[in-house]
Amino acid sequence: MAEPVTVTINRREVSAQPGDLLIKTAQDNGVYIPRFCWHPRMNPVGMCRMCLVEIDTPRGPLMVTSCTTPVSDGMTVDTTNETVKKAQEGVLEFLLINHPLDCPVCDRAGECPLQDQTMAYGPGESRFVEEKRHFEKPIPISELVMLDRERCILCARCTRFSDEVSGDPLIEFQDRGNHTQVNTFPDEPFRSYFSGNTVQICPVGALTATPYRFRARPWDLTAVESTCQHCSSGDRINLQSSQNRLLRILGVDSEPTNQGWLSDKCRFGFEYVASPARLTVPLVRNPQGELEEATWGEALDYAGGTLREIIARSGGRAVAGLGGARSTNEEAYAFSKFLRAAVGTNNVDCQMDDGLDARLLARVVDRARIADLDKAGSILVWGPDLKEEHPTLYLRVRRAAQELGAGLVVIHPRRTGLDDRASVKITYQPGAGGEVLAELMAGKGRMAEAREVLSQGPVVALLGRPGYGEGPDLAEATAAFVRTLADASILPLARRGNVFGALDMGLSPGLFPGRTQRGTLAYQMLADRWGDIPTASGRDCRGILEGLESGEIQAVVLMGADPIRDVPDGDQARRALGNADLVVAIDQFLTDSSGLADVVFPAMGFAEVEGTITNVESRVLKVNRLAPGPGQSREDWAILADLAARLGVDLGLTSAQQISGEVEEVADIYRGVNWEKLDWEERDGIVVGGDLGYVPVYGECDSVSPAPGQMALHYARTMYDDGVMMRESPSLHPLAPGAAAYLHPLDAEGLGVAPGDRVRITSSHGVLEVEAEIDPSLHHRVVYVPFNQPGASSLGSATMVTVRPL
Amino acid sequence: MVEIRSPSVGKSWSEETRNRASEIIASYPQPRSAVMPLLYLAMAEEGYLTDHGMREVARRVGLTPAQVRSVASFYTMYKREDPGSYLISCCTSISCMLLGSDEILKAIEDETEVLAEQGGAEGLVTVEHVECIGACGGAPAVTVNYELIEGISVERAREMVRWLNKARPETVGGAELQELFGGRRSFDWGPFDRSSAVGPYPAFGPLGTVSIRSQSQDGQHGE
Repeated sequence: MAEPVTVTINRREVSAQPGDLLIKTAQDNGVYIPRFCWHPRMNPVGMCRMCLVEIDTPRGPLMVTSCTTPVSDGMTVDTTNETVKKAQEGVLEFLLINHPLDCPVCDRAGECPLQDQTMAYGPGESRFVEEKRHFEKPIPISELVMLDRERCILCARCTRFSDEVSGDPLIEFQDRGNHTQVNTFPDEPFRSYFSGNTVQICPVGALTATPYRFRARPWDLTAVESTCQHCSSGDRINLQSSQNRLLRILGVDSEPTNQGWLSDKCRFGFEYVASPARLTVPLVRNPQGELEEATWGEALDYAGGTLREIIARSGGRAVAGLGGARSTNEEAYAFSKFLRAAVGTNNVDCQMDDGLDARLLARVVDRARIADLDKAGSILVWGPDLKEEHPTLYLRVRRAAQELGAGLVVIHPRRTGLDDRASVKITYQPGAGGEVLAELMAGKGRMAEAREVLSQGPVVALLGRPGYGEGPDLAEATAAFVRTLADASILPLARRGNVFGALDMGLSPGLFPGRTQRGTLAYQMLADRWGDIPTASGRDCRGILEGLESGEIQAVVLMGADPIRDVPDGDQARRALGNADLVVAIDQFLTDSSGLADVVFPAMGFAEVEGTITNVESRVLKVNRLAPGPGQSREDWAILADLAARLGVDLGLTSAQQISGEVEEVADIYRGVNWEKLDWEERDGIVVGGDLGYVPVYGECDSVSPAPGQMALHYARTMYDDGVMMRESPSLHPLAPGAAAYLHPLDAEGLGVAPGDRVRITSSHGVLEVEAEIDPSLHHRVVYVPFNQPGASSLGSATMVTVRPL
Repeated sequence: MVEIRSPSVGKSWSEETRNRASEIIASYPQPRSAVMPLLYLAMAEEGYLTDHGMREVARRVGLTPAQVRSVASFYTMYKREDPGSYLISCCTSISCMLLGSDEILKAIEDETEVLAEQGGAEGLVTVEHVECIGACGGAPAVTVNYELIEGISVERAREMVRWLNKARPETVGGAELQELFGGRRSFDWGPFDRSSAVGPYPAFGPLGTVSIRSQSQDGQHGE
């Protein structure tokens, strides 16, 4: 930290860091300077002139824009004198010349910076009597955003955001002078994963979001702060509802996580909450094999009775549990306790055979924090395309590489959102990851440059599974390599909002609440409290599905899990569930999987339950409720407690908050984490755990290359897909890219396939017939297929496939 | 009617243009710096700046089409509508205005309207008024396809439009125009470089469009 400087603002001396902007220093010291274009998370431009203030200079008083003026020692500033007031009035009168003043029909009215600042700093009336400029209004610039160019005051917040922050500048100023307007290129819409942020930061009503337009007035909204559960970044959000219906989500500027930004999935992916397809009553399969409405008592009796028989007949190990990564920590804890203490099984997994080793995720040494990216000398990203699966981390990495000078190495089977900011990008063939890692370790050839970049410490490595063609061992081996680099830390990545919280609560065969393992003191204390914990080691997701297929496992409880859609080999999951004697589903929807269940309990979900989640960097954050659950739906923990009672076990769970207290007692690392703190002074969350000493092991990864006539399959997730939450969110579901076979131009030529031609992809697990697309970013002999797209069947967890034209 | 330009609207760029684009991009440290000369190249390729041309530029310099269009729409010399064969730019800045450019502009507009009414002159002439073209000493001044005529009069301006319609020269040259329609010159502009006369888009020497035409036609534009 440099020596602070002293600045006099409105005759009061304040201290500031040299280089700080005047507008920020003033705000930090309680002096609000009106502004439109300045945004604390973007570079200043000084475009709107609203923040003019007067500073003393050796040549007398001078008007400057406080958003572009760094403070200097001894600076004297006046933000309220007559000259400044006159300037503010002038600027506002100027901005209002072409502004339509259609506030009564404008969504922004009531929370509009232009409206508010005109009231506070503007002239009482306008002298402008001429015709205002006119544009067609409003025009859709994407499926999600409408643009009213008449209302626009040309502050460039939206265009700067899309250029500086999200890196997809699809909107820009067009024309000039009085005709200047924000617009897209004709027929190239503003199709950005982050477009909703421009709506939130627009200081007028020029940009509006189609899911929210004309739905509510700001003063009618009820709001509560919460945390997004789509991905595991733990983005802080503001939920807003009217008449018990969730209508809008805004990003909250939380320094450790999302810094105000949200992906459109997080912002608009809430529509499913109010979907008419939500389950409202328990369902039980009748003797004719159809799901039929039942009372809670009937459903619990049936599920509990059958479960009891199976346990009596074959023991607890014949039962398994899947899911929990979409629930709160409290619900996940209840699930863990239910399975271990009431059922007596360690067969439990919150990951859907699509993640990493639970020990690596939960206990890895040298675990990185998201904030480490800001200080990183270099960053290694070898995992999913962050833009598709971890949008907030994508923004943080992008910022580190673009604004903060970190070197960036990206290794991925095809192009990723970060390529344009990568110092080195390595494209490879799925299946050859082991060879690529060996090359990287040797630092020879094309890897010399990558090693050069990674020699800049501190190194932060974001590691996960790039696609389903590759196993979890690659990330582990890479983690082991990363530890040999100077000053390196590791951020392991996994899918689903609360996967880290679920692991912390013990939803993995070998982990127990507090990330403890068998044979530790903490485990002993837990066993004392829970009573019997089964000693037999449990099975993970794939083991559970195999056990169900073979009949070794007879019953499975799904908690917010849809394995048929989510595991790479959906057909195996379908066979497994079909073969089970009892499938109990706790779900919000009748999904492919819960539709096969014998008993379905309607569950409350996002925005309906209160609790905590734990994000990718082990930060515990509060989620809050704003709307009632539909119909007779209940919280997961309450359903599990009742089900346990039918097995004759009292789990001792009485409320989510009580569970939170119990977690604090049994899970050492959660000590001191309580709702009271998280709701008030620790709203940015509390980091738990830290380094639990799991050392990743380097193992030779199998390297497979396609046999003649075969191609390697890159089978990876996209932000929008055909999962149930997206399917029930009408604004986002149409944005799923759809299943297609993306081929390298040379491969397409070799197959005699043109874009749009249909091809058949055959894997050992399935067949998919889709249209071909050309993707020059792919490695030769690789076919990319987006996972879980509308109307597409599954290819399973295959690495090699054949592609034939139809 | 003389086929003045081979319209290649929407077609992919010729090999020459592509090579020229690569040369221009290579002369800058960052590809995006080449956006402006490449826009002229795109104009020369298709006769004016089309969406297709802007996309091609965007792809080559690593910007989005929206960003390229932002640049293209800021500068008035990037024509995003087909200016026809002859672009007549009438200066209306102060020196020319004081010496009657308003009347000259009106006369040119009037004469082109007459042509339009007579038919057969579609796509021939576009008239625009421009800010100072640096010929204050020879005011009032106009340019035809960026070739300068100084000391023009209302009558000569009318004649010029009629002549363009009748003669339809493949290229126009400043020396010729000055002789036919000009008045007092501000100073001697030097020998006329025929290779720089290319059409209704400016011909920028070292990095711009001129060499394409001069290479392809050996500097000859044939009359």
